[in-house]
Amino acid sequence: MSEERESSVLAGILTRGYSRIFFENWPMWVGGVLIGIMSVVTFAWARPWGVAGGLRNWGDWFFSSVGLYHHPVLSPVLSTNSILTFGLLWGAFGASLLSKQFSIRMAPPLELAKGGVGGIFMGVGSSMAGGCNIGGFYSAVSALSFSGIAMMFGLLIGAFLGLKYLYWELEHLSAGSTGGSKMSEGKKGFSWLEVEPYLGAAALVAAIVCVFLYNRQAYTRIGGLLLCGIAFGIIIQRTRFCFVRGFRDPFMTGEGQVPRAIAISLLISILGFAALKWTGLRPESTYVAQAFWFGGLVGGIIFGIGMVVAGGCGSGSVWRAGEGQVKLMVAVVCFALSTSLFKLMTRSSEGLTALMGHRVFLPDYISYKWTIVGLVFLLFIYYLLATWNEETDKFTVEM
Amino acid sequence: MVDSITPDETLDCRGLSCPMPILKTKKTIGKMSSGQILEILGTDPGTKNDLPAFAKRTGHEYLGEKDDDGFSRFFIKVK
Repeated sequence: MSEERESSVLAGILTRGYSRIFFENWPMWVGGVLIGIMSVVTFAWARPWGVAGGLRNWGDWFFSSVGLYHHPVLSPVLSTNSILTFGLLWGAFGASLLSKQFSIRMAPPLELAKGGVGGIFMGVGSSMAGGCNIGGFYSAVSALSFSGIAMMFGLLIGAFLGLKYLYWELEHLSAGSTGGSKMSEGKKGFSWLEVEPYLGAAALVAAIVCVFLYNRQAYTRIGGLLLCGIAFGIIIQRTRFCFVRGFRDPFMTGEGQVPRAIAISLLISILGFAALKWTGLRPESTYVAQAFWFGGLVGGIIFGIGMVVAGGCGSGSVWRAGEGQVKLMVAVVCFALSTSLFKLMTRSSEGLTALMGHRVFLPDYISYKWTIVGLVFLLFIYYLLATWNEETDKFTVEM
Repeated sequence: MVDSITPDETLDCRGLSCPMPILKTKKTIGKMSSGQILEILGTDPGTKNDLPAFAKRTGHEYLGEKDDDGFSRFFIKVK
């Protein structure tokens, strides 16, 4: 085989690999497994994954810059919360460019308003529950915190209520959200789609350079977290992994593939977190929020309504904003500002803080062994009910 | 094949994001009669996965999609 021929075969393999990763759909369960693994890797490296904390840091930083807050705020460049969320946004942006899916998508006015209101609900809900659907539910359940379970039930109730609103809106305000926003006219002679993959590659290379610079400044821990955030962004954008669907789909379409993917993902994450905590490698109190039960449950309900109305949860709003969806950009901004203000309000009031509840680390009450058995059983029930509903449509709500 | 389809109704979901295109499709299909073809215009990349999955679950026939200038057209035949 000539050298030229060999290199063209190699080019063929690389092209196929590229289109498999960036043009074909990844199955949902692959997303679940990869997110579970990354969740454990992130905790082992530094701390559990979260999204709302980063948004709160950005809100704090904004209010502090305009002179509204007088207490010192950690710089978004150095806050681990902020770096994880920034990585998620960056990874999703890079992945959507590489797959030619990036485009600024304007939404009709009613949709933008829903993004804003949904964002505010999510901001309030996440500060009550000690995090969004990631920090308050996914990472919290992994961290064996009881408030994560309370939030899970809250999210289910909230998603149901949010869906009821969407049905009501379709009946009464349907004209308001009829599409027809003019997409940017394709400019003659220059196609953005053709250059998007190069821009995407450049964005990801720039991220690697950033990690290197952090490392040079002896902020290796933060640099690593940036990489973790970017990995979450790429995985989630490519699988279109949507936690909202885990709570909304059973009521809306009856589909069970996302609940099943979340159950598989959580199983991996729980086992990893339990190993890290049980062996004493990580403090037991990490991500056990003072939110059982009121904060978790009620915060979950408020957050659940918000995520369905906005069409994206903590992670979902951020990755869709990275893909260019204006409605979700509005949601992210409103989320960041409202969660910052509401958290400040809760912190400055002893009554409100006490109302949110207690820290309940399950192994303190029922031992590690039974905690794991109980959580695995709960996931099994969730998986089973979602699949059973797929066949019977028992939970599905008709319009 | 998709080029030769003449839809009976067209639903404009451009600018809308998940889950609105699916909900509107569900509502519109409810008002149509069996054998009619619905065309859906959309800009959300998620719709490319969601509509075929929705059609499969609900028993309607997914006829295919084609890309237009800045948006996609999807075709569903009502069962």
